Amino acid sequence: MTATLAPTQPPVVVRATTGATGPTNKRSTLSTVVLLVGAAYCLLPVAWVLVASTKSASELFSTFTFTPSTHLWENIQDLSAYRGGLFWRWMANTALYAGVGALLSVIVSAMAGFGLAKFTFAGKKAIFNLILAGVLVPGVVLAIPQYLLLAQVGLTNTYWSVLLPSIISPYGIYLARIYSAASVPDDVLEAARTDGAGEARIFTRIAVPMMVPGLVTVFLFQFVAIWNNFMLPYIMLGNDRLFPITVGLSGLLNQGASQPAMYTAVITGALLSIIPLVALFLLLQRYWQVDLAAGAVKA
Amino acid sequence: MTVQTPPRARVRRRGRFAPYVYLAPAMTLFTLFLALPIGYAIYLSFRTVKVSGLGLGKGARTEVWAGFDNYVRSLTDPDFIASVVRVGFYGLVLVPTMLGLALLFALLLDSRRTRARGFSRVSIFLPYAVPAVIASLLWGFLYLPRVSPFYYVFDKIGWDAPDILSSQWVLFAIANIGLWGGVGFNMIVIYTALKAIPTELYEAARLDGASEVAIALRIKIPVVTPSLILTFLFSMIATLQVFAEPMTLKPLTNTISSTWSPLMKVYRDAFTRDDIYSAAATSVIIAVATFALSFGFLRLVQRRAFSQENS
Amino acid sequence: MRLHPGIRVAAVVAATALLAAGCSSSGDDDTSSTPSAGSTEKAEKVDLTFWTWAPGMDEVVAAWNAANPDIQVTVNKQDGGDPAVTKLLTAIKAGSGAPDLMQTEYQKIPTLVAADALADISGSVDPSIAGHFADGTWQSVTLGSDAVYGIPQDSGPMEFYYREDIFKKYDLQVPTTWAEYADVATKLHEADPKAYLGTFSATDAGWFTGLTQQAGASWWGINGDAWSVDIDSAASQKVASYWGDLVEKGVIDNKPMYTPEWNAALNDGTQAGWVSAIWAPGVLQGNAADTQGKWRMAPMPQWNAGDNATGNWGGSATSVTSQSTHVEAATKFATWMNTSQEAVNILVAKGGLYPADLPAQAEALSAPPAFFPNQPDFYTTATDIAKSVQPFTYGPNVNVAFSAYNDEFGKAAESKKASAFLTALTAMQTATVDDLKNSGFTVDE
Repeated sequence: MTATLAPTQPPVVVRATTGATGPTNKRSTLSTVVLLVGAAYCLLPVAWVLVASTKSASELFSTFTFTPSTHLWENIQDLSAYRGGLFWRWMANTALYAGVGALLSVIVSAMAGFGLAKFTFAGKKAIFNLILAGVLVPGVVLAIPQYLLLAQVGLTNTYWSVLLPSIISPYGIYLARIYSAASVPDDVLEAARTDGAGEARIFTRIAVPMMVPGLVTVFLFQFVAIWNNFMLPYIMLGNDRLFPITVGLSGLLNQGASQPAMYTAVITGALLSIIPLVALFLLLQRYWQVDLAAGAVKA
Repeated sequence: MTVQTPPRARVRRRGRFAPYVYLAPAMTLFTLFLALPIGYAIYLSFRTVKVSGLGLGKGARTEVWAGFDNYVRSLTDPDFIASVVRVGFYGLVLVPTMLGLALLFALLLDSRRTRARGFSRVSIFLPYAVPAVIASLLWGFLYLPRVSPFYYVFDKIGWDAPDILSSQWVLFAIANIGLWGGVGFNMIVIYTALKAIPTELYEAARLDGASEVAIALRIKIPVVTPSLILTFLFSMIATLQVFAEPMTLKPLTNTISSTWSPLMKVYRDAFTRDDIYSAAATSVIIAVATFALSFGFLRLVQRRAFSQENS
Repeated sequence: MRLHPGIRVAAVVAATALLAAGCSSSGDDDTSSTPSAGSTEKAEKVDLTFWTWAPGMDEVVAAWNAANPDIQVTVNKQDGGDPAVTKLLTAIKAGSGAPDLMQTEYQKIPTLVAADALADISGSVDPSIAGHFADGTWQSVTLGSDAVYGIPQDSGPMEFYYREDIFKKYDLQVPTTWAEYADVATKLHEADPKAYLGTFSATDAGWFTGLTQQAGASWWGINGDAWSVDIDSAASQKVASYWGDLVEKGVIDNKPMYTPEWNAALNDGTQAGWVSAIWAPGVLQGNAADTQGKWRMAPMPQWNAGDNATGNWGGSATSVTSQSTHVEAATKFATWMNTSQEAVNILVAKGGLYPADLPAQAEALSAPPAFFPNQPDFYTTATDIAKSVQPFTYGPNVNVAFSAYNDEFGKAAESKKASAFLTALTAMQTATVDDLKNSGFTVDE
């Protein structure tokens, strides 16, 4: 039922058995093979990037794709040396945008989700629908108007110009609402209110701890979304020392007609930029749960 | 503002402003960064710029009211109509395939008889970590016949494989990138829902000797239908907004025009043609169409998705 | 607060980061007042921002900053070409966020002037500067008026590059006319069906423009207060159907340049020639370093034997934007960067640019590019060729025309039909004229 989101157990241990317990407990090669084919398909470009980043620039276009070479360290050094270590600055920027942005987004989403899930008030449906409608508006459309509006207050080309618009996440609010509904029982809230606790205390001391696994998921999703975002920082930032990796690497590719694209640098940079996210995935696997329809299933 | 307290209110009178306080940060940011820009874009869609004389030097350009001109031009633009049809077909190709595979993988992950589940789950989810721009570049290298390992192998075995970037196949090439990037995420969504199913539901079926496949078809899939519906909705919206993949592949081939997808047309108008007014009008059209398509879904789904709360 | 330990850590990180973000300065805030022109007091420090994508800028700027402590320049490297222009135009529209200095490609200058993005520096610039540049080049920054919208930096006269070793292998003669070029292409492709003498690139509008420029076309023109558009002129049609013919016959490839595929082809000789511009050595070095010394540069094939004409592909000026509050200082820097021997030497060495400044050329171009050790008179030949660049006028909607080129010629190249190439040209003409009219320009038909 809602065992998936119980805060005190690791969600993976939902049921002791995830499959057959009876006599049909044999291993199925077919299903294993199908999954492995899927895994291979998904890993293929990653494997390509790994191999390609070991090649020097001249080998990149003259050797067979999957023949590895030995220049990975050189490529990393060249990339690090580019314009005085700018690539690592981009990495740091990206970590900042994604880390701080996701954190602020979680706080805002948690509050909004809780408010929507646990209260009845005028305009609730309208507000929620309005927020969800935000999902429908693509970044490309918003980019220029957001720039023009931020320019009025002189905030363009700063860290804030990328952070502030990243905080509002309709999808995060949607998820937070579901998690609030599923993991914070009304009677606990009622009891706290009867005891005279103020709303702030109720929220921070009671509700949030119960919602934490779900909030970590919201954090992770928003982190990845901001990490991979291209359009917003592209428009907002003119100072290349503020770029995140996506914009920085695209710049290495688009050098204009009279310069060669720096493919080796881009490929090495792409590899290095994937690693933190992969590490995040591997370390926080149990938080990658997206229960879009929690509670729709009742025992 | 007065709040009517319904008979079964869960809020004490003194906390009646509490929900608004909780929503305040979100609503403020929403207004500033979503509502205002959208409003501004709508305003721009009714304007245009006119030049006087040669148009060089100061004061040669003025913004004027344009009425519905921008909308009419967009709606009657054959390129735009073509892009809408194309993206519709793209969605028809991509979304069922992606969700079908996501469902299949999720079911397999949920079956005890499958081995290497952990490894497969992480691997299939991995593409989610790769931004669309990078993913398209990587797949570009895998598509271009001269540098692709696939065509190298095809060549060796003597198969004259069609160029996947030719006009016949390029839509599938782009769809593949979308599939690669999205199947893992959707798989996790469905898998989460599957894991939430109580075992009691199929203990009985198993004792009766039902096969795993039958259990999947008869019990599991119907139970996770709400999740399937929601992922369908979100995938559909994302598909209609396809932009990064065709944009990144465009310089590599002749077969992707600058108006391949509706959003690319918006980008071209706003950024290449410096005509933000036309871009705004097209964006409004796209947003309204997406909203109309999603509206029915949202209504249908809200009740099933939020049965946990009392609202 | 019983927060998950991970969130606690994240909160600390976030707090630190927010502090850091708050302390970081945005790129183009000025921290001092404008020096008054002509005053004898010591000028206060001026900070200028410079948006550019040409390589080597860091070194040039470092040299300037060392010698001019009162005018400090910061380089912000942008995506090359269109994206940078878009960002600049957005900033101009917004009223803030534009840099002081901008690298402006010649074909984009009318667009930028039309958007009121560039400052007229005729008041701050040394009048004798005009004599440093060829007439055509100087006209690109004045647009035929008294105003000056930038200082020319480099230019891109076009030549024909070819693989000497492959020509020797198949006993091919260097073509001097386009008719000969067609013959050589046919001969090469017959000898090696995988090889091509070149490719028709539907993604490089600048390249095609240069070709029509050589044939005598000028796509825009000014008649009093009206613009005229002549994209489908006889000269352009000649060029379009010539290449369409070659693509249809299959002796010239139809794939875009600057793709991984094209890079691979440069490396293994399946692209045995490249009609390109003077900055080609840098690109070849970056994409096909192993073929160093195997290429040779020759003048472009001509339409009539004995003619001497070429086109221009690329090249930019350095302009001061209309939002800059330090026009004097910025002009001073731009002038130094593009006309002083010291700066031009660095630009050539690090950026592989072909400087537009005539007096500085001799010393800066004394040695051939590293990629052409086999051609010691590379730059002597190039300078001769540069003198034969034909005139060409760019209009206020170059982006529209170039975007139409991508779409229309993409279709044509893919279809491999010569007739489609002419259709594409007409479609470009229509799209460009329509756009001008829609924007309210008066168009001479």
